[in-house]
Amino acid sequence: MSNEVTESISSDNPTAKAFTLTSAFWFAAATSLGMIGAGYLIAPDFMANIEYIHFGRVRPMHINAVLFGFVTPGLLAAAFYYFPRLLRTELFSQKLGVFSAIFWNITVAAGIIGISIGHTQGREYAELPWIVDIMVVICFALVVFNILMTIRQRKESILFVSIWYTTAAVVLTSITYCLGNVIWKPDTGALLGIPDAIVLWFYGHNIFGLLLTPMGLAVAYYVLPIATRSPLYSHTLSLLGFWSLIIVYTHIGTHHLLQVPVPTWLKTISIVDSVAMVIPVMIVLINLWYTVKGKLGDIHADIGAKFVFTGTIYYFFVNIQGSMMALPHVQRITHFNNWVVGHAHIGVLGFAGVTALGGLYFILPRITGKPLYSKFLADVQYWLVLIGITGFALVLTTVGLIQGNAWYNGETLYRTLPEIQPYYILRASLGTLIMIGAYIGLYNVIRSLYFNRGASI
Amino acid sequence: MYYPYFIAYMAAGFVISIVVFFWALNNGQFKDQQRARYIPLESDLNTKPVKASRFARIETIALFSLVCIVLATSVAVVVFALVKAVR
Repeated sequence: MSNEVTESISSDNPTAKAFTLTSAFWFAAATSLGMIGAGYLIAPDFMANIEYIHFGRVRPMHINAVLFGFVTPGLLAAAFYYFPRLLRTELFSQKLGVFSAIFWNITVAAGIIGISIGHTQGREYAELPWIVDIMVVICFALVVFNILMTIRQRKESILFVSIWYTTAAVVLTSITYCLGNVIWKPDTGALLGIPDAIVLWFYGHNIFGLLLTPMGLAVAYYVLPIATRSPLYSHTLSLLGFWSLIIVYTHIGTHHLLQVPVPTWLKTISIVDSVAMVIPVMIVLINLWYTVKGKLGDIHADIGAKFVFTGTIYYFFVNIQGSMMALPHVQRITHFNNWVVGHAHIGVLGFAGVTALGGLYFILPRITGKPLYSKFLADVQYWLVLIGITGFALVLTTVGLIQGNAWYNGETLYRTLPEIQPYYILRASLGTLIMIGAYIGLYNVIRSLYFNRGASI
Repeated sequence: MYYPYFIAYMAAGFVISIVVFFWALNNGQFKDQQRARYIPLESDLNTKPVKASRFARIETIALFSLVCIVLATSVAVVVFALVKAVR
């Protein structure tokens, strides 16, 4: 396969630019909503008279903005950059790509506004009202069509592992989203009783396991070899990791329901597979870390790769946590309290979000043809986010431990509240760092995309 | 009746996975794995080598320390939970 084909691929990529801007904008919006939520946790009457941003509404607004506004579009922006490169062809349709980015923004905005004015289906990660559910499915269908057609017209016969991961992610999520949101019941968006809990958590965990994780890993598999100018340690191993992730990760959602009367066999499967997640995780990390072995200097010189590599460390951390938390004895202390909130932040922001930011910074110079507007600002954002998320891990773990221990000992809830308030203040402070980082990132992205006076690369 | 949807979903997932796997097998996706390792590098020929700096080394150590702190916290909680459970 000749290199001329790669060289001839247009660097002008409006789809990647549109998704980059989408991600940067919603990161700032989502962290702002998160800060309002953090305010309520310190002072329950904080902005209490404004019903549109009451805690019960602002929390799902924050979560949906992060999942569907910030992280997924960020990872998609990188995907729309590396798909043509890895397949040695142009993207099937840039117009369709830009349209899907615009429609994506309309969908997320509709969902956030919908929840804000009280239209929620009240199920965690599946709060979006039915009409927005349909719009989300259309968004994914547009992306699926575009990338499948790009694969079809490829000039590179072998599909690199990033292609496998991202294609599987968007195809599976477009189907899983329908099931998890019980899309065939527009009035409630829910089943009845225990089956609803099972299907909800099957879907809920697969938003992380079959959407964010594979797309994040796809970015890491693309960025790290290029940044270190090293071939991937083993492509065979990466494919083994991909197929084992597909087999194992799909079953673990019920580990959120170990203290609920769901069938024991289902709990057993979820625990066994949660622990078995060590296999695909270690395959990925051995592969990536051996690829970059001895070249950490190269990674730290490239701000995109620095974010992505940090994401792999948090990937290791969040998965070891996940496997351990699925053990029933551990879960008695760690579940239904802030430990899980910490775990979710480490996973969605520490791994997937940080990797998405890495993807954005990696592709920005390549799609604009100019260096990043400010590497310094990107570095500042890196440290703000890193300190914020590491602090989150510490603080929320501690609070979770206090709450879990109190519950385990049968203490009354209100007795723990004065004890945990200082931690909530710390949490809001750390959240402020992340929010400032998000706004700095938005400024840097806008300047890099549209107002960058730097010389061309 | 909820389970027909579950069964339909599982059947669809199973069939799609098997079909895709055998397509990949017959299409030669598991062959020529040595060349596959280089595909990202061939897709980006413009990335230049960089010089390692002292600041980068300090940054690496700081990052590693942060990771150790987080890991130590996690291990401590798990040990604590297990000790509680045994009691």
